[in-house]
Amino acid sequence: MTRDTDPAADRPADADGPPADTTRRGLLRAAAGATVAGAASTAGCLGVTTPANVAAQYEVSGNVAHFVGPEWLADNREDAVVLDARSAERFRTERIYGARRVPFDAITSRTQTDAGAVPDTDAIAAAFGEAGVAPDDDVLVYGASVGSRVTRTAFALAAAGHVGDIKVLNGGLSGWNGRIGTGSRGAPTATDYAPDPAAETWVTRDWLAERVGATDGDGPGLVDTRVPEAYLGAPGSDALDPDHDRHGHLPGALNVNWVGNVAGNRMTEPGRLVRLYEVDAELDRDATVVVYGDENVDPTSTWLTLRAIGFEDVRLYDGGFGEWANADGDRGRYPVETATSVVIETEGSVGGGDDSGDFSCTG
Amino acid sequence: MTDEGGPVADGDRAPDAADDDRAPDADAARERGRSGRIAAVACEGADALALFALDTGERLGTVPVGSHPVHAATAAGRTIVATMGERAVTAVGPDGAVTRIETGVLGPSHFAAADGLLFVSCSAGDALAAVDPVESALVGRVAVGGEPHEVAVDPAGEYLYAGSRRDGVVDVVDAAARERVASVDVGEEARVQGVALSPDGRRGYAIDQRGARVVAFDPAAAADDGGDSGRDPAPDAVVRGAAVGDDPYDLVATDDRVLVPGREAGTVHEFGPNLALTAVHEGFSRPVDAFRIGGDWWVLDAADSQLRSLDGDAGATPAPGLVATRVGDRLLVSHYDDDLVSLVDVETGPVWTAESPAYPFGSVVI
Repeated sequence: MTRDTDPAADRPADADGPPADTTRRGLLRAAAGATVAGAASTAGCLGVTTPANVAAQYEVSGNVAHFVGPEWLADNREDAVVLDARSAERFRTERIYGARRVPFDAITSRTQTDAGAVPDTDAIAAAFGEAGVAPDDDVLVYGASVGSRVTRTAFALAAAGHVGDIKVLNGGLSGWNGRIGTGSRGAPTATDYAPDPAAETWVTRDWLAERVGATDGDGPGLVDTRVPEAYLGAPGSDALDPDHDRHGHLPGALNVNWVGNVAGNRMTEPGRLVRLYEVDAELDRDATVVVYGDENVDPTSTWLTLRAIGFEDVRLYDGGFGEWANADGDRGRYPVETATSVVIETEGSVGGGDDSGDFSCTG
Repeated sequence: MTDEGGPVADGDRAPDAADDDRAPDADAARERGRSGRIAAVACEGADALALFALDTGERLGTVPVGSHPVHAATAAGRTIVATMGERAVTAVGPDGAVTRIETGVLGPSHFAAADGLLFVSCSAGDALAAVDPVESALVGRVAVGGEPHEVAVDPAGEYLYAGSRRDGVVDVVDAAARERVASVDVGEEARVQGVALSPDGRRGYAIDQRGARVVAFDPAAAADDGGDSGRDPAPDAVVRGAAVGDDPYDLVATDDRVLVPGREAGTVHEFGPNLALTAVHEGFSRPVDAFRIGGDWWVLDAADSQLRSLDGDAGATPAPGLVATRVGDRLLVSHYDDDLVSLVDVETGPVWTAESPAYPFGSVVI
């Protein structure tokens, strides 16, 4: 397969190969034609996928925020900064042409406060600055699909107080038919990204401790995004983190596994998500909703999904259940529950593999 | 075990009910109750506290108290109801005023009174909630092993002993400091249901329901040997363990004997204070509790409409009984599956029987 390299990339040996206007769209068109020709000579019953309907299946319709399809990127390619949330290796192998990459460690970094862990917006902003992102840039984040590395990157932008639009590419790289790049990429011109911490995007351990037990009444909604076995603290389950002193969930939390937000490489159909969260989970879109997982990556999928379908005030517990379960001192202030079972079943699936921007084992 | 009147905390006083809800039936109960004591029965299936005249069984009214009430205690002139389906307990004043006291953790189940507070096990979580019955307020929570159930108090009222159904331990809690100071390791797979101390406080006992055994421990050694933050088990606290009949749930401890009903086995194991087996009493259907009345031990049976003594005597009850509260030489029996409450004299049989709201469970006399 022939690929483009980015204009600022280090020039590998094969960088002069294909012409600059070679695109995956063109390659796919050629492949589709070959398939049709081959089919004509055989049984004539092979399915044909064209670039147009590959892209179309990832388009986002309706009143959905943040998530956009390939057409949006094609139309805004020159105006938006494109961030690749995948691993460095995958980034080098293939990426959207001109995309930049931000170190994921920086994206997930936290700092300790008296109230508990919070996003380290200084470190996050510095990483975006090194990637050449300015606070008022419109940014599109992509991975191989719409997994939690992608959504964590989107959250990190919001937490740093990003002013420009924050978009996520539905379908990820697999839905992109436009120009692609490969090889190492030169460092973009850094910016001085001054963070404006958006504390309304997260909550702390003590914020939750002051509201223990109030989340099933008039208080905020509380969603545990882990697998049900972790939520229930199922004894002997592989889903339990051995580094946690205690297992179970925060009092009053209901369980909706974040994987239900994703259907293969794209977000779950929005109407289905609305039913999942508003009907099945009975969350109030006008109230505060807090999401958490073991760490601070996977729950951002639910954080972004709820915002996308119209929830106004969604916050991430960045310290996660790991911080809560291992709290020092007065653990009576940070209780866990186990003998409850408010599990909302989901049927999602996440395409791609670990470090691809699709899935994270750390959340 | 639920004794007459339940645990009573210090500092009784008239409640301030200005901002409380008032249950409509409670006024009638108060008026009628002036002539005598009232039996208050938590009715799990009706989310209500049912009130009966103790002398006649006349139904005086019901007080809505929240989801799945199971046990009750009296403190500061109020009846405090453990509502397992809530993250709260409910206080009912003598005038029927109802106050919700948030615990923050689901599953309030059993009460213990110490240091002027009521401690209630939050059986769906890992905490005891400490409630000030005078102020009708939560004053804090104490972290304990997961899914705490029954809580015992030492004779001096200084330490609480809370059994964990999840972590296989009995946690020792300093009541005044509201802090876990030690734990007793009952067994890795143990599901600790009943916990009791002998009246002199020299021995503690824990029922491992899953393992069908009883474990004796030294409360003093447990309190002294706590490790880091009370999370490490005290190594020398366990004295001995002994097998009992299948599906034990609760136990009775006196200074000279321990009785353990095995519900599934239909037996009552009788031990000395250090768990030397004295006798195995057989032939029960589903024994759940035992009461010493008139010099005999009488066994309550959840599948048999009679009380039977360990000596072989029997007394009829209107229906099988799941929970009973001793009232002098009589028993106030909750017939859970039959929606009945009765006052039973072990010598003469039922004094009265009354229909109750659904699933009557724990009771107190006020």
